[in-house]
Amino acid sequence: MTDMPKTARVLLIDDDQDLGLMLSDFLAMDRLHVTVCNTGEEGIDTFAADDFDILILDIMLPGMSGLEVLKKIRQGSQVPVIMLTARGDDIDRIIGLEFGADDYLPKPFNPRELLARIKAILRRAQPRETETRHWKLGDIEVDTRTRRATVNGKLMQLTGTEFEILRSLLETPGEVVSKEQLSERALGRRLLPYDRSIDTHISNLRGKLERAGNKNETIQNQRGVGYLLIPGC
Amino acid sequence: MLAVRSLLLRIFLSFWLIIVITIGTAGVAGFLYAERMREAIESFEIGDSMLGASAALEAGGRKGLTDWLRRNRTSRAITIFVLDERGHDLLDRRVPFGLTRVFRRHREHLHRHQFGDRDPRNLRRSRPQPLLVAANGSIYTFFVSPSRASHSVWTMADARWLLFAIALLVSGIVSYFLATTISRPVRKLRDATVALAGGDLDVRVAESVGKRRDELGMLGRDFDSMAENLQQASARQTELSRNISHELRSPLARMRVAVELARQKNANMPELERLDNETERLDDLIGQILSYTKLDASPDTDPEPTDLADLIHEVVENVNYECKAEGIDGVSVVAQINASPVTLGHAGAMISAIENIVRNAVHHSPPGSEVTIHLSKDDESALIEIRDGGPGVDEEDLHRLFEPFFRTRESVASKNERGSGLGLAIAERAVRINGGTISAHNHPDGGLLVRISLPL
Repeated sequence: MTDMPKTARVLLIDDDQDLGLMLSDFLAMDRLHVTVCNTGEEGIDTFAADDFDILILDIMLPGMSGLEVLKKIRQGSQVPVIMLTARGDDIDRIIGLEFGADDYLPKPFNPRELLARIKAILRRAQPRETETRHWKLGDIEVDTRTRRATVNGKLMQLTGTEFEILRSLLETPGEVVSKEQLSERALGRRLLPYDRSIDTHISNLRGKLERAGNKNETIQNQRGVGYLLIPGC
Repeated sequence: MLAVRSLLLRIFLSFWLIIVITIGTAGVAGFLYAERMREAIESFEIGDSMLGASAALEAGGRKGLTDWLRRNRTSRAITIFVLDERGHDLLDRRVPFGLTRVFRRHREHLHRHQFGDRDPRNLRRSRPQPLLVAANGSIYTFFVSPSRASHSVWTMADARWLLFAIALLVSGIVSYFLATTISRPVRKLRDATVALAGGDLDVRVAESVGKRRDELGMLGRDFDSMAENLQQASARQTELSRNISHELRSPLARMRVAVELARQKNANMPELERLDNETERLDDLIGQILSYTKLDASPDTDPEPTDLADLIHEVVENVNYECKAEGIDGVSVVAQINASPVTLGHAGAMISAIENIVRNAVHHSPPGSEVTIHLSKDDESALIEIRDGGPGVDEEDLHRLFEPFFRTRESVASKNERGSGLGLAIAERAVRINGGTISAHNHPDGGLLVRISLPL
C-alpha cells in the first residue's frame, strides 16, 4: 500500500455487457485491471473471492439492486465504492451515499471523469511522505500510516472518504474546513453544484463516532461555510 | 324528499306540485267563498225586509225609505242596496260593479217588457229583483249583496291575498329545494372541472356527487371515469417519455466510452471532440426531458420549509461558477434580497426553477450586463423577480415562453442554440408543483422580467 500499485484492480458491476467491455479496454490504458460482473449476485461472489482496490457499482441493476449489493459489501469491507446513478435520481444517490458509497457519477458519464475519480480515490489511499502520521483530539485518534481511526482505543470501521474527512477536521480542531476543501481532500474532486455528498458522509461519520462511544467531540455545521470539529471540554 | 332519484322526475314533480297546489288552493278558496256567499244570501229572507221598507216608503216617501235603509243596510253577512231609477244608491254608497250591471240589464228588461218585447231569449237574461214602487211612481230596486266588511266569511280580496301568499310560500319552498338539489352538485362538478383543467388530474367527485342516483350523479361518475382516463393517459405518456429517455441513455453511455477509446487511439481527430460535445448535449437534453417528465408526476418527497434567500444565494453562486466554466464573461448575476421568506415546498424543484430562469437570463444578456434576482414578500406570498439585460421578448411570445421547446423569433434568427429549450418549461412546472405562479413580462426599462409568486 505504500506505493501506487502498478496495476490497480477494479471490479465493475454493470448489467450492460458491451459498456463493461469497452470500459475495461479504456481503463486498461491507465493500468487499471477491470473485472466485469453483470449481476449483483455475481458481483458479490467475485468480490468475496478476490481482492479489489475499488468497486464501480451500477445502482440500476436488474434483479438484486445495486443498493443491496452495496449494503452486503459494506458489511465486511471498506473498499472504495463509486456508484453509477441515473441522472436526476436523487433518492438513489442519497441512499447510496448513506449506505457508504464514497462517490457517485450520473450515467451516462464522461469516461475521463470516471477515470479521474478512480485515480483520485486510489491516490487518496497513499500517505504523503511529509505529513504527521498521528492525530489525536480527546478520545479520537487517527493514524494515517495504518489508516486506523479509534475512539478510546476502539477501532472504527470508516470508509476511505470518512477517514479523510475525519483527518481533515482533526488537523485543525475548532477551525472551519470548507466543504470545497473537504471534497478536494476526501474525494479528490471539486464540489459540484448542489452537491450534498460531503454532508451525507459527515452524517455517516457522526453516526459512527457516536456508536464508537465518542461523547465529547462534536462535528458542527457552519451553515454555508463548512464543518468543524469542536474539542470536548 | 321521497325516493325520487331522477332529476327529470324531480323537476317534473316539483313544477307539477307547485301548479296543482296553486290551482287547487285557488279552486278551493273560490269554492268556499262562493259557497259561503250562497249560504249567506240564501239564508237571508228579503221578504221580511221588504215589508218594513214598503211601510217606511209609504209613510215617509223617499226620505222614509232612506232612513229605513240607514237602519237596515247590513244584517249579518248581507248588505242591502236600494237603487233609484238612475242606479244611485239611496245612501250614496258606491254600488258594486256587479250590481250596477245587473241593475242596468234589469232595467232594460223592464223597459223592453213595457214595450212588448217578449222574446224569451231576452227574458231569460235577467233575474227578477224585488222592487218597490212609490206613490209618485218612482221605482226602487232592492239588491242584496254579500257584505264586504263581513268577518264571518272570506271576502274576495282576503282570498286573493291568501292565495297569493300560499302560492308564494309553496312555490318558494319547492323551488328552493329544487334549485339546491341541482345547483349544489353542479357547483361541485364545476369546481372539479376547473381543477382538472388546471392540471389537477387527481380530482374526483365520487364523494360529493357520484353517490347521487340521479342524472347529476351519473354525470359525476362519468366525470370521474373521464378524469381517470385522462390521468392514465397522462401517466402512460410520462412513463413512455421516461422509458425512452432511460433507454436512450445506455447506447449514449456506450457511445461516450467508444469516443474515448477512439481518442486514445487517435488523439488528433477534431471530429472526436465534436462527437464528444454533441453526445454530451444529447445527454443534457435527455436529462432535461427526464426532469421535465418527472416534475409531472407527483413529487416523491413531502414539502418542507425552504428558506428562499438561502436558495437564491446558492443558485447565484452556482450560476456564476457555471458561467466561468463555460466561458461566458461579463454577465454578472446579482441577488437583491429584501426579505427571507420561508415557504413550504420542494427545495429541489425550487432550485431547478430559479436556476433554469437565471441560466436562461444569462444566455440572453449581452456582455457587461447584469442579471438581477429580486426577492421580496408580502402578507400572502413570496415574490422572486428575475430580470435580464437582454432585449426582451415580443409581447405575443410572452405567454408561450413556458412551452417546451418554444423558441422566440429572436433566438431562431440568432441561431441561439444554448440551452435545451426546456429550461423555462421545467421552471413553470417546478413552480406549479410548489403551488406558485410564474409569468413573464417585458420590463419597462428593458429586459425580460420573470416573476415567481409562491404562497407563504
